[in-house]
Amino acid sequence: MPTLGKKVGSARYSAGGLLMRGLRKQDWPRVWNDHDIKKKYDVVIVGGGVHGLATAYYLAKNHGITNVAVLEKGYLGSGGSGRNTAIVRSNYLTPEGVRFYDRSLELYGNMSVDMNLNVMFSERGHLTLAHADSALRTMHWRAEVNKLQGVNSSVIGPDEIKKIAPSLDTSAEPRYPILGALYHPPGGIIRHDAVVWAYARGADALGAHLHQQTEVLDIICEGGEGPDGKGAGGKVTGVRTSRGDISAPIVVNCTAGWATLISDMAGVKLPITTHPLEAAVTEPVKVFLPTVIVSGSLHVYVSQTDRGELVFGASIAPFATYSQAGSLDFTEELAGHVLELMPGIAKMRLLRQWAGLCDMTPDYSPVMGFTPVEGFLTDVGWGTYGFKAGPVSGEQMAKCIADNKTPELIAAFDLARFGEDRLVGEKGAAAVGH
Amino acid sequence: MTTSRLSSGGAEIDRSSKISFKWNGKTVNGFEGDTIVSALAGSGHQLVSRSMKYHRKRGLLTADYWDPNCFVQVGDEPNVRAGHRKATNGMDISAQNVWPSLERDMKSANGLVGRFLTPGFYYKTFVRPQFLWPTYQKVLRTFAPGGAVDHQSQPLYFDKRYTHPDVVVAGAGPAGLAAATAAAEAGASVLLVEHDHAVGGHLRWGSDADRDEAARLEAAALAAGVEIMTDATVTGRYDHNWVSINQRSLHASVERLVKARAKVLVVAAGLVERPYVFAGNDALGVMTAGAARRLINLWGVKPGTTAVAMVANEHGDAAVADLEAAGVSVTSVVDGRNGEFVSSTTASKGALSSVTLGDGSTVDADLLITAVGWTAPTSLLNMAGDRPAYDETAARFFPTKLPPEVIPVGGLVGDGSTAQIIEHAAGVGRVAGATGISARRQLQAATTRAAVVDGAEPAIPAMPEPLGRDPHPELYRSDTHGMVDYSEDVSSKDLVAASKEGYDSVELMKRFTTVTMGPSQGKLETVNAVAVLAEARGETIEEVGTTVWRPPYAPISLGALGGRIFEPERVSPIHPWHEANGVTTILAGQWIRPDHYGDAQAEVTNVRNNVGIIDVTPLGKLDLRGPDVPKLLNLLYTNKWSKLAIGSVRYGVMCAEDGVVLDDGVTAHLGEDHYLMTTTSSGAAAIWEWAENWLQTERPHWQVHVTPVTTAYASINIAGPKSRELLSRLTDVDLANEAFGYMRVRTGTIGGVDDCIMWRIGFTGELSYEIHVPSGYALHVWEHLMSEGADLGIGAFGLEAQRIMRLEKGHFIVGQDTDGLTKAPTAGIGGLIKLDKDDFVGKTELSTLDVASLPVLVALQPVDGSVVPEEAAQIVLPDSNDIIGRITSSRFSPTLNRSVCLGQVEPSHAAAGNIVTVLLFSGERIPATVMEHHAHFDPEGARLRG
Repeated sequence: MPTLGKKVGSARYSAGGLLMRGLRKQDWPRVWNDHDIKKKYDVVIVGGGVHGLATAYYLAKNHGITNVAVLEKGYLGSGGSGRNTAIVRSNYLTPEGVRFYDRSLELYGNMSVDMNLNVMFSERGHLTLAHADSALRTMHWRAEVNKLQGVNSSVIGPDEIKKIAPSLDTSAEPRYPILGALYHPPGGIIRHDAVVWAYARGADALGAHLHQQTEVLDIICEGGEGPDGKGAGGKVTGVRTSRGDISAPIVVNCTAGWATLISDMAGVKLPITTHPLEAAVTEPVKVFLPTVIVSGSLHVYVSQTDRGELVFGASIAPFATYSQAGSLDFTEELAGHVLELMPGIAKMRLLRQWAGLCDMTPDYSPVMGFTPVEGFLTDVGWGTYGFKAGPVSGEQMAKCIADNKTPELIAAFDLARFGEDRLVGEKGAAAVGH
Repeated sequence: MTTSRLSSGGAEIDRSSKISFKWNGKTVNGFEGDTIVSALAGSGHQLVSRSMKYHRKRGLLTADYWDPNCFVQVGDEPNVRAGHRKATNGMDISAQNVWPSLERDMKSANGLVGRFLTPGFYYKTFVRPQFLWPTYQKVLRTFAPGGAVDHQSQPLYFDKRYTHPDVVVAGAGPAGLAAATAAAEAGASVLLVEHDHAVGGHLRWGSDADRDEAARLEAAALAAGVEIMTDATVTGRYDHNWVSINQRSLHASVERLVKARAKVLVVAAGLVERPYVFAGNDALGVMTAGAARRLINLWGVKPGTTAVAMVANEHGDAAVADLEAAGVSVTSVVDGRNGEFVSSTTASKGALSSVTLGDGSTVDADLLITAVGWTAPTSLLNMAGDRPAYDETAARFFPTKLPPEVIPVGGLVGDGSTAQIIEHAAGVGRVAGATGISARRQLQAATTRAAVVDGAEPAIPAMPEPLGRDPHPELYRSDTHGMVDYSEDVSSKDLVAASKEGYDSVELMKRFTTVTMGPSQGKLETVNAVAVLAEARGETIEEVGTTVWRPPYAPISLGALGGRIFEPERVSPIHPWHEANGVTTILAGQWIRPDHYGDAQAEVTNVRNNVGIIDVTPLGKLDLRGPDVPKLLNLLYTNKWSKLAIGSVRYGVMCAEDGVVLDDGVTAHLGEDHYLMTTTSSGAAAIWEWAENWLQTERPHWQVHVTPVTTAYASINIAGPKSRELLSRLTDVDLANEAFGYMRVRTGTIGGVDDCIMWRIGFTGELSYEIHVPSGYALHVWEHLMSEGADLGIGAFGLEAQRIMRLEKGHFIVGQDTDGLTKAPTAGIGGLIKLDKDDFVGKTELSTLDVASLPVLVALQPVDGSVVPEEAAQIVLPDSNDIIGRITSSRFSPTLNRSVCLGQVEPSHAAAGNIVTVLLFSGERIPATVMEHHAHFDPEGARLRG
């Protein structure tokens, strides 16, 4: 089984390495390599974001499966992985959710060391504010479930909130005063691009091929009940790409935003609608906000990067679209709500806004694992929380592929649940839960 | 001190009006009309800031809004653009992110180890030991650039303006002025928005003749009726030409957001002068030719004494002439058109001392100006979907494909003499004007309210011949490496290293090195960065492509975006009485409601023994009319409604398509084709939308008219054994049980108020009447009830008492006792789900549903009745932490003198009499009994039917 340390070898990142290369004026080796596309791979992963790259990495690292291609139509991390607000947490509402995201948080916590690349994980605490009795009740519910799952979270009052984040207005003055918060100390933020690069570098070092600017145009199937052998009962034989055909017995859909379009190519219908989620960032100011702040009632979440910028997000737009254009309404509402929380930042300026696409399922939980088409697997439907789940999803999807069996941790997220009334109840916690 | 004020000149300063302000605690003098930077330069202050990473000394580079080296703190306002902000008397200005002072900044030590701090160095270090990383991170965070926020600063007043011009013109240089004037002369209403403090664009810092031309153009625009807004920026172009404008320099507020629905947007953003990349290009005294011209011609500031000029265009030639006229000795002119270039500079204490030219010669100088070409700020065009293409002959990007309602003019689309640019822009302006008028007329015609469409349909003229493109040498990087992104301290060497390392597409390079991610968002840096990457990859700029510029065009304050907060507070018309009678309120969405009047437990007891009244005005109320109302009710509710007689009410539960409980309430059949539906208070708006959604999209042929009347009626519940007696004193309606039974509705007069609706239902479990009174008379009726009921022991009760009583009766609250997964049959209302109906929302799901495995809602009583488990306390297996349910509602019941609960429990543990384990927040485990009925009290309902 190949190991990362050996393969990476001379390219090992360390302060000493920086020093030596600085003195010798040496360049660093490529973080990942370009390869020609092979005619055949054991596994083809569609989508070069955190999920796809993590799947490739864990296939190689945990299972020795290295004849793997990751196909990305843009550049690595160009989709949701590079557009999210980089918040990680595990204080979910259902035991399934808690177990799953807690494993993800654990992988994130150790990622810098495991992957030998500092992903700048900042365990800074995560406050979900309650502005109504009903919200406070849900916070208590989450806290109690979390406690039983061994996840550190508790409900705290305005005085304690003020101590943690003094810039918040915890008085009774605002239209919707802060009544309390769910405090989750292990939550935090992470450098999302670095996570993409860490998995890309790791997967590449262990032998996977990463193909950027390579768009999947079709998935080639045989034996299925639909046209062209697609659909239930059939099996996958390969993919057609903008750079030629590739044959592969296993194709994994790790896309977001385009998950339904890719699955359609295999004749697999997903219960997913795609909604835009907007985000924005301010100019930098000296660091003042130590934690992640989320307010479900005010539809906003905010954290301050190590560079001093405030990063904002909101809830998904109520309409379905593939457009990733930002809207003015979003920035207006966002600013209004943020100023209710932190009236002192009115003179800070919004620097940039953008949008990403979220694939929403009926129960706000993902669709993972096998499909009615043999060899076609999905890791999709991640809504607004795909980034948080990247590492554990990659780990579990790799296991699923290697063992040809659904791992227990993701069993609840299978596609078949929608036909069998086994929805996962994460809706309450995930709706604006960042 | 090499910059100084000239004895004369400066078109935009008023030498008769002196000002002074504090700069890092010291007094600096200037003139009215100065920017902060021109005043600083005029008084010999070259050093303005320290760079982000290495804390290198930085002075003005472009002397305008985009100057990356001129960010300062003004009072409590961080990140003020000193190249743009006008200096005013008494300003308190200081340098940002320096310690202990701008002159002696300790963090400049970073520069000594710069070669180790390669781009993204932090990704490669601080990995081990892991436990030290939080400490490293704290240190890294102290390096965050920017000014400081004062959280104690006074709240400010921000307002917004809406406008609907036919044409918005972004940019009031010669092209923008000409386009705006022509559009206005064609009859269009035109808003012309200028980023800078005055119109005229580059003509302002040109010759006297140029300024005369600018004045002529401005006068023409004003004469044509153009609205001119200066010191304002078109920050965004959104779908359907929704244009955002950030207006600064207002007396009343720091900034104002202006929102314009432009029929046509003309983009006349002009061109941004690019810096040149070479070793030492960030020394004090190195600046763009535009900066030198602005200093001399606008503010009468001499930018240096001995200068080298690298010029590659006419603008550079003019700058050389300006320098000489200002008495600067230009010792060397390096002509980029002949292949000459500047190679590097040396500096003394950060300030330029000599310049090494491409031929190896070295020239002493304290000023180096560069005129090496232009960046087209295509940001607004990007937002309209354009992906600009690079033209290597003109050495800049040009637009490719735009929607017809977005039209660029001026430098964005070509070159030419001022006259040619004006002529072209005027031609475009005529097209824009006619197109805008035509679009406005179409909108008016489509609006039923507009009886008459304004004016005649204009003929849309042909677009003018496109402007030519002048050749320009491609000058990006010299034979040395230098700064590309000044605000982020990213050099061309860093970019090459990043590319070699594999971050070799524009977007990856940007994310890895943070190039173009600073406050100017690439206005100065993008094309240089792309050029360096192209060079590193051995490709052309066109092949490398560029990043997408996202809104806003220039940063806008959160205050301006947020504006005033318009969040209504809703109170019932009876609220004054509550306030006068010691109410404690509770927030329920937008509503402020009575929670209790001192003692909720006593309020309960009074209702159970005498009579109480509660204000339930927020209850959602929908007036339904039309022959197809029963069909609608059958569709939305799970039970049957066809046979509900006039004079009767019925309780119903609504599901979403997935069978999950959505809302509940009582609907009354008031008369022929006339019903009144009530919803939960929190669902009032959502259920109205829900009903309209089904009617408008799925059943458009049904004849139903839905009118929300939540606030047209105030609602009062009169509950308790003496409620009949009380109400009978105020109404002529026969209240006898035989005449007006349980679940019946009557209309009549209450307390002299006509058209009241009253029905007999019982959320509290007592004999009770819910009355809906025209809201203007509600306070009168309420006070009347209180006085008439005095001898009956009447008392007002609040939400808390109501919650206790409904819990005693086991009535669930949607969203509290049910959640996003609670299917209707598991909520204990199985009898209300009529799967034999033709259809109802959720039927498909509920028909196939196997409820056997779903948690069910049950009533629970702790074995020790003195313990009230917290709501959200989990129900677990006795010996483990496995969750089998949770408490959804709990209260101490004064009626039963014990605690009562509702909860969700897994079906295998939900049998009546079963003892389950409740885990309190404290960690204590207590036993609780699953009850047979949801109702803890009077399960037969004898009290409410009597």
